Amino acid sequence: MAVEDLAFLIPLLPALAFVLTFFLGKKLPTGGAIIPIAAISLSFLISISITLKLLANPEMVIHQSYNWFAMFNIGILVDPLAAVMLSMVTFVSLLIHIYSVGYMSHDKAPSRYFAETALFTASMLGLILSDNILQLFICWELVGVCSYLLIGFWYEKPSAASAAKKAFLTTRIGDVMFLAGIVILFSDLFKIFNGTIPEGVYILRFDEIFTHIPEIAAMNANILGMEVSHITLITLLFFGGAVGKSGQFPLHVWLPDAMEGPTTVSALIHAATMVTAGVYLVARTFPMFIAAPDSLMIVTYVGAFTAIFAATMGIVMNDLKRVLAYSTISQLGYMMLGLGIGAVIGAEAIGISLFHLVNHAFFKALLFLCAGSVIHAVGTHDMRQLGGVAKVMPLTAATMLAASLALAGIGIPGTSIGTSGFFSKDAIIENAYLFGETTGTWIPYVLAIVAALLTSLYIFRLLFMTFYGKPRTNYGGHESPASMTVPLTILAVFALFFGGLTSKVFNEFVSGTFVNNFVNMDINELATIGGYHLASHGHHHEPTLILWMPMIVALAGLLIAFLIYGLKVVNMDSLVSRNNAIYKLLYNRYYQNAVFTNFFSVKVIYEGLAFAGSFIDRGFDWLVKWTGEIMLEAGESLRQFQTGAVQNYATAVIIGVSLLVILVKVVMEVL
Amino acid sequence: MMPILSMIVLIPLIIAALILLTKTKEQARFLALTGTVIVLLLTVYMYFNFDSTIADNQFVEFIQWIPSLGISYHLGVDGISMPLILLNAIVLPLLIIFTWNDERKSPNKFYALILATEGAVIGVFTALDFFLFYVFWELTLIPLFFLVSIWGGPNKHHASIKFFIYTHVASLVMLLGIFGIYFAAWNLTGTPSMDIPYLLAQFQFIESGIAKDMIFLALLFGFIVKIPSFPFHSWLPDAYTEAPTAGSVLFVMLKIGGYGLFKIMLPILPFTASPNLMISIMAVLGSVSIIYGAFLALSQKDLKRMVAYSSVSHMGYVTLGAAGLVSLSVSGAMFQQFSHGLIMSVMFMSCGIINNATGTRIINDLGGLAQKMPKLAVIMVLAFMASLGLPGLSGFIAEVSVLAGAFVNLPAYVIIALMAIVITAAYHLWALQRAMFGVFNEKLGTVLDINGYQTFSMGVIAILILYFGLNPSPVLEMMLTSSEQIVSLMAAMGV
Repeated sequence: MAVEDLAFLIPLLPALAFVLTFFLGKKLPTGGAIIPIAAISLSFLISISITLKLLANPEMVIHQSYNWFAMFNIGILVDPLAAVMLSMVTFVSLLIHIYSVGYMSHDKAPSRYFAETALFTASMLGLILSDNILQLFICWELVGVCSYLLIGFWYEKPSAASAAKKAFLTTRIGDVMFLAGIVILFSDLFKIFNGTIPEGVYILRFDEIFTHIPEIAAMNANILGMEVSHITLITLLFFGGAVGKSGQFPLHVWLPDAMEGPTTVSALIHAATMVTAGVYLVARTFPMFIAAPDSLMIVTYVGAFTAIFAATMGIVMNDLKRVLAYSTISQLGYMMLGLGIGAVIGAEAIGISLFHLVNHAFFKALLFLCAGSVIHAVGTHDMRQLGGVAKVMPLTAATMLAASLALAGIGIPGTSIGTSGFFSKDAIIENAYLFGETTGTWIPYVLAIVAALLTSLYIFRLLFMTFYGKPRTNYGGHESPASMTVPLTILAVFALFFGGLTSKVFNEFVSGTFVNNFVNMDINELATIGGYHLASHGHHHEPTLILWMPMIVALAGLLIAFLIYGLKVVNMDSLVSRNNAIYKLLYNRYYQNAVFTNFFSVKVIYEGLAFAGSFIDRGFDWLVKWTGEIMLEAGESLRQFQTGAVQNYATAVIIGVSLLVILVKVVMEVL
Repeated sequence: MMPILSMIVLIPLIIAALILLTKTKEQARFLALTGTVIVLLLTVYMYFNFDSTIADNQFVEFIQWIPSLGISYHLGVDGISMPLILLNAIVLPLLIIFTWNDERKSPNKFYALILATEGAVIGVFTALDFFLFYVFWELTLIPLFFLVSIWGGPNKHHASIKFFIYTHVASLVMLLGIFGIYFAAWNLTGTPSMDIPYLLAQFQFIESGIAKDMIFLALLFGFIVKIPSFPFHSWLPDAYTEAPTAGSVLFVMLKIGGYGLFKIMLPILPFTASPNLMISIMAVLGSVSIIYGAFLALSQKDLKRMVAYSSVSHMGYVTLGAAGLVSLSVSGAMFQQFSHGLIMSVMFMSCGIINNATGTRIINDLGGLAQKMPKLAVIMVLAFMASLGLPGLSGFIAEVSVLAGAFVNLPAYVIIALMAIVITAAYHLWALQRAMFGVFNEKLGTVLDINGYQTFSMGVIAILILYFGLNPSPVLEMMLTSSEQIVSLMAAMGV
């Protein structure tokens, strides 16, 4: 049996593990952790074998499709894009599961934890494997509900219950946009087929959608006086979904609060099973985006803005996990930016963006697991109470350093020496430069460079405040057990070396996603539909300064952090007053919470609209009562005929009906 | 061939009469369970012998009754009614099991009324004669009225009378519509007939456009109130909330309004004088119900009232889907009826359990119940997720079919419906957060988890919600067949 026939098992095994752990986990040691670990290990082995096979045969695609209901299908599609994601998700999720055995050992409901994380992983794998947009949406929502359950894992904590709800509702705003996109897409395709869908044609399957891009692009909608092509509308709505899931501005607000769950859940959400879904969605539907240059422009700007916007908040947070949360938002912004510049470089953008996604998964999982290790040992995640943790936890500190170097993107330009993040982030920034050269707009490039400086600053601030210097409080602590440190070490190796080893192969492999025997898209032709031309391929040479720029700003960030938080040459408190307006703005997260949650959801929606509704409803009720009372008064004179016994209503009905029959009959006769 | 439809209609009615004669709770519940299980077995037999590839009526029974008025005993099932009969047949035995250990006054009357409702509701779904249809239609009112007014909550008298009068007035208007089509056809052909398929076919030959529109609107009013749709919903929150749990579940099983929409309204819609106006009316009612019900649910303080309003919101999909006039949206609307019946049963059962266990349903007075009632929490979270339209559960299939299908013809109304989705998620999750999660409210005293009977019935329905969410075809296929026929009729008329 060939390994590609086992592809369907990749999401199915963790799903099965969910059921088994849910019902049997309580009776097993460590909450039945062995079940999801075994299942995800197998999924990982299948994924990696398939990836290697695809690497050897670039034209090959695994595709199976089955009828579901009406004109919809269920199917699996493994192309380079999916294969890379599958391998990354199963690998990272496996390590997090192994780590969780130690981390969750003192919890009272480990079996529920492992059941839910297994389902979380299964949903994400199902999302990646989908061969149609509806199935992708279904798994997308399942990912959302699993995150809801896991963020609210300690549901007896009011803050956890609240954060879970916030995460679900905020992402749901995006989900509704995504659903609206699907609905419009369906209706367009339905019209293209004139309402009669031939047997065996599944209209929401990717090959069917991509085939009809020219017709969809030719349809126009009039929105507020503007003529908008349906392809632009649909891709923008899809991107709206991605903004919610991948924590892009302005729907990023749920992600920093999502740390209310166990830290391992944060690692899963931030690295493997949730926030990458939005980037994946844009990459998966990339042919549509290529035909909609306006949408790609918005992707570029939202991405670049989110990268810098989140980074500014990252530098003032005092909570270990919160800094990392803002870091994720910022890095996702880079990935979106990477996709957006596809408007200039075409399909290569998927390779560039996905490369950063995978590298980020390694170092961000590592950062969170290190943070978890610290929290597990020390019991707090307030950096102001930490310091000098490296002395008690040398291994955790070393792996944390590796992850930080990867996040900051330290490496030597022009060579193949560097951390994973160096290769992928550099590629995005370089292409943002190319984007500037081609289109004449330099804003994305400038934002990306400044964000790189801030990235390095906040991560080394975190490192110096937490791991070096003198302990600020007496926290005790010890190095974590092997089940936790082994996954840390493995991830550290990947965070340091994966990028350097694969940078050449990776890009070429993933960028070829849409040229195979399932879909065969001519990217240049799609660009023509969008009314523009892609930059001609060929080797471009940036000035040396531009080549070194990301490295220079990263080192600058490191230096500033070292001077302020390492050597303490400047006292931060004297430099910036806590009452400083900018500090307060950043620390209060640009007051988005106040506007979003307190004003919009509570005041406008709940106290405003919902109560206005209930007022109107009382009006309707009153109207009914009033009508009834008029009738009652009219009936007052007939009161003596009324016995008051309710049973007689039935008799009255029959008599009434008979009378009515006679009445109508008479009327008809007269007519 | 045995008269299987007569059996599933009459057996519950006969057993209801027998239950009245019983003396103890044990006898009453045993008989009730036996009756409902027999109906279930017969329905399952019928389901497996049903041909879902044809839209015609099947298992037809026809006996002349009062020939001088054209009244006959005419029964049959098609793809519209079969799933709804199945829904009733499945949920009713589970409802009896759910109430197995409850203590209440006069259990014999209680169970007799439940069985009577089942017989009457299935009667509506099988009747192919307007006279029969109307008799069963009104018959559903009476047992429900007593269930609310005897075993209901503090405001039971107000709620039951309001429900009775409101829906009864609507039924009378519907009756006028029935007479309209009856006498018009009589005038046309010279022979009286109450036969539903015959009269629906005769409708197009009525000359007066105003008469046709008036008949259509009168019938529509009768059905819309029963669904219920905005702005004729105000009987529902009171009736659903004041009813005992079993009564609320029976209300949810009462899918006769939506049924009328598909079985009677849509086939004559293209022949009305102004079909586009009628479509617009239905689309407005549907989409406004969806968003209005959602906002109202958000503002409720009582958990059961919130669920009642969410029901108004969900039933809006039925009206909107019917107005969508694409086979996907029409079958999605039919599926919504089926799915909503399952989901709301569990929702109302949960509300009833919480009320019994804690003595209150005010959401803010609850809190942290999941710690004391872990089994209920699992089932309830699943039901809430299904109700907010989570994919993988049955509600999603219905909603996505309605939204995608209806967008083809009614894009603006679908956008209104889409806006309600976040609100829908909000009130569900917010209620869960306040009632089930967070710190346990010690004032509630000792709170026990659901018993074995309750776990069984709610568990089975929960599994069905999941099953039909993953594999809707067993009921959706026949719905698609029926809706394709309806829609092809529309297309032929150029609507």
